[in-house]
Amino acid sequence: MTALLQTSGMSVTFGGLKAVNEVDFRVEKGKLVGLIGPNGAGKTTFIDGITGFVPTTGRIEFNGRDIGSMPPHRRAKLGLGRTWQSLELFDDLSIRENLQVAAEKQSVGSFFADLVAPRRKRDDSATDWALDVLGIADLATKMPNEISQGQRKLVSAARALAARPELVCMDEPAAGLDSTESQVLGARLRDIIDAGSTIFLVDHDMGLVLNVCDYIYVIEFGLKIAEGTPAEIKRDARVIEAYLGQSADEGNH
Amino acid sequence: MKGSLTKYLQWFIGASAIVMVAWALIDSDSRAHFLTGSGLASGALIAAISLGVVITYRGSGVVNFANSAIAMYIAYVYAVLRKDGDLFLPPLPNPFALVEGIVHKLDSTSTLDLPDWPTRISFGPDMQFWPALLISVVFALLLGLVLHFFIFRPLRQAPPLAKVVASIGLCLYLPAVIVRRFGIQPFTVQSIPYFKVDRPVSLPLGVKINADELVLTILVIVLTVALYAVFQLTRFGLATRAASENEKGAVVLGFSPEFLAGANWIISTLITGVLGIFAATVLRTIDPNVIPALIIPALTAALVGSFTSFGWTTFAAMVLGMQFGLVKYFEAQHHWYPKSGTSIFPGMERVLPLVIIVLVLFLRGKSLPTRGAISSGRLPFSPTPPRWAIRYGGPALALATAICGLFIFGPTFRLALANTLIGIIICLSIVVITGYIGQISLAQMAFAGISAFLVAKLTTQHNVPFPIPIFIGAVVAMLVGVLVALPALRVRGVNLAIVTLAFAVAVDKAVFGNQSVNGGFVGAPVKVPQLISQPRDVQYKILGIIAGDGKQPNPMTAMFCLVVVVILCYAVANLRRSATGRRMLATRSNERAAAAAGVNVSGMKILAFAVSAFIAGVGGAVSAYRFGGVTPDKFNYVQSLTFFAFAYLGGIASVYGSISGGFLVAGGLVFTFLSEKLGVPSEFTLILGGLGLVVASVRNPEGIAGAVRQIGMNVRRKRGSREGPPEGVAAGAGPSPSTDTREVGAAS
Repeated sequence: MTALLQTSGMSVTFGGLKAVNEVDFRVEKGKLVGLIGPNGAGKTTFIDGITGFVPTTGRIEFNGRDIGSMPPHRRAKLGLGRTWQSLELFDDLSIRENLQVAAEKQSVGSFFADLVAPRRKRDDSATDWALDVLGIADLATKMPNEISQGQRKLVSAARALAARPELVCMDEPAAGLDSTESQVLGARLRDIIDAGSTIFLVDHDMGLVLNVCDYIYVIEFGLKIAEGTPAEIKRDARVIEAYLGQSADEGNH
Repeated sequence: MKGSLTKYLQWFIGASAIVMVAWALIDSDSRAHFLTGSGLASGALIAAISLGVVITYRGSGVVNFANSAIAMYIAYVYAVLRKDGDLFLPPLPNPFALVEGIVHKLDSTSTLDLPDWPTRISFGPDMQFWPALLISVVFALLLGLVLHFFIFRPLRQAPPLAKVVASIGLCLYLPAVIVRRFGIQPFTVQSIPYFKVDRPVSLPLGVKINADELVLTILVIVLTVALYAVFQLTRFGLATRAASENEKGAVVLGFSPEFLAGANWIISTLITGVLGIFAATVLRTIDPNVIPALIIPALTAALVGSFTSFGWTTFAAMVLGMQFGLVKYFEAQHHWYPKSGTSIFPGMERVLPLVIIVLVLFLRGKSLPTRGAISSGRLPFSPTPPRWAIRYGGPALALATAICGLFIFGPTFRLALANTLIGIIICLSIVVITGYIGQISLAQMAFAGISAFLVAKLTTQHNVPFPIPIFIGAVVAMLVGVLVALPALRVRGVNLAIVTLAFAVAVDKAVFGNQSVNGGFVGAPVKVPQLISQPRDVQYKILGIIAGDGKQPNPMTAMFCLVVVVILCYAVANLRRSATGRRMLATRSNERAAAAAGVNVSGMKILAFAVSAFIAGVGGAVSAYRFGGVTPDKFNYVQSLTFFAFAYLGGIASVYGSISGGFLVAGGLVFTFLSEKLGVPSEFTLILGGLGLVVASVRNPEGIAGAVRQIGMNVRRKRGSREGPPEGVAAGAGPSPSTDTREVGAAS
């Protein structure tokens, strides 16, 4: 299998603190890869590093290209999407427009065409698909502050998908959801994988990660302490000691 | 590594600044023009303004662009008390004035004189120093309270734009009141009786300055040290410092952030006022033009002090005040001084603050410490133009305008129509930069002026035929706009407002003030094609109907403006409806989410600046053709602020808002109607504009366009509840009814 995303020795340093320390990591195409770790382990920083929102050292390869020094929007254009734990929707745009921003590809000439014919040959298939796959087509004309927090989470994921990314990094999509909602989300994520995408999922809902992911990485204090299939992770002594304890069994029920 | 390089650069530039100041002090020739009494006095005045700016910023997070106007206003209060014993009042709304105006209009011989508000409260013939100072200080205190309770406290949670707008409103309003009461000529300030001005004090190094100048300098230093002590050593100071980092910190110390903000507003107006009064007595005269402009060096000094250090702020302010004399001396004496043609290159003393600001911002990046306040505020809503407006509303409005301009309006209103149309162009340029992408540019008239003066040159000296100069002018303005946008990549919000304002002042003095550009006393004429304006009075026949009354201005001038306005309105509306517009709005909403969605945030900002400066450039070129000549006063920084005010009042986030804003501009249709039909004097343009801006920023940030949309939606909702939910065409005709919860939230 070829790796879609691969890091080798990736580190993120804040002042003197290594928030992510020499992490080697790979995501294969068409897989759902999870990252777990206790609070403050560096999970979000890891996503920020991959997607270009914090400076990194080491190597990050996406589709065989070194993207380590690219600005975030260029990584996004290459097909590396992400969501945010704090959602970060565009409050001034409707839900559909939120998705369109991510879906629309733009060239230099399109600016001048936009001045004359702003709604020419609109291709909204990606936007419609993303709205459908997350079941929020009925929200399309609403504004972000008119919908519930749970719906905002779905919009946030839909926006990342609307760009038809090859890989979506999802930061804590299950935070704040109850266990039923979390299971529904898990099913949706599998649907997205079946539709041909690849997902990198960061969460601390152990049940969700262990149930839906194909492969899991565990980090603590910025260091990778384990990796493997869900079954291997559940058996890993270091993981159980560092992090899992009771919750692994709970998640398994 | 990158950080330490910046640090070295900072040290290097700081050190070279100190070396330059030291050299100016050591070299006896320079010293004689640097360390002068009048230099110290202007330095003290700038220090007064910038200390006030720093205090209010630390206390309430507001960068007060109006602090120089406040200094001027309090100095006027004092000066008028001393001279006449009167406390003057701002013009108050008087409904009788309208009745009088209408009666005079109907019957010009009648002498109806209805009661008016008093303009002054008299305390007797003239006033001694101490009582005048006391009343002025009480006035400053009350002003501080009013500013806090009525303007900036309600704006506590508002986005930076609303705070900047409110202070710009004040910055226009206060001088306008002075102009209304005392005119634009300098006002003499009586000196303080204890100082003998004819006997200078001799200091070491052969420096001779007057006693009052010396006392003022000492006063500034003492106040600076006192402020430092208060902020470092008292619980109040500690709480203010804590609050400026994180408002919860102040609460822990037992102070409410509201109390701290109010107290600091009072301290600020008191210090600004007292120092302003002393500086005014030393300078002998004050006027409503020069002192408000000192906000640029004052903001520069505050930036040097990072809006926190009183010592550095005062030091920078004093140097910026004293360099005026030195630059004038170099201009007059030195052959190496840059020249343009035969005359010296003007306005260097105004370019220096811009250079310092750009250096400081580039090196520090984020130079204003951001406040940890919970800000729920947002920029005005930018609706997608509805289809009916694009298909029917726009053409109908254009047709109505054309009919009015050609057949109905007389000469006065044709002139006003042309002014309104040019105003719409400038407002459109502000909609792109502030409404669409959320960047504050206070230099739009500088871009317009660059284009206008270029059009003058191209048409008269190079015979470039119409309409090519419009494109050349606009493209050059656009390139300059891109250059100004570069700081926008590192700074945003208020910092950018400061950079662009400094740029506007520098361009005004150094470029538009240059004789080879502005043509000296004759001005810069523009060769206008006959298509737009006939030198003779002619009548046109359109479809067999005679257009116009054969008088100047030619109706075709307004038609030319109208064509340009229609093209630009459609372009800006299309921009909002397009993918590019969505990307701009996304950048405005949330820069990092936009980047994650593949939007090139820097590129979008540069594009917005380019489009905005291009539109402003077209506006300047159209104005050049409309007036047949270009004068610097139409493009100075006050004009930039004024147009910003009217664009905001009209509605800063939509084309409809620009059209409303264009109606409001000075010399436009609304104020021409008020002055022609109702007898409202033209000084009221800025009084009402400034006051309107302050009120709008607090009460109705969506502007006229937003208010009208709100009313429309309320009506539709009422009708909808009677006839069932609106569907199909009705829902598609405007923003969906459900959007109004957000707007109520934004307006309350």
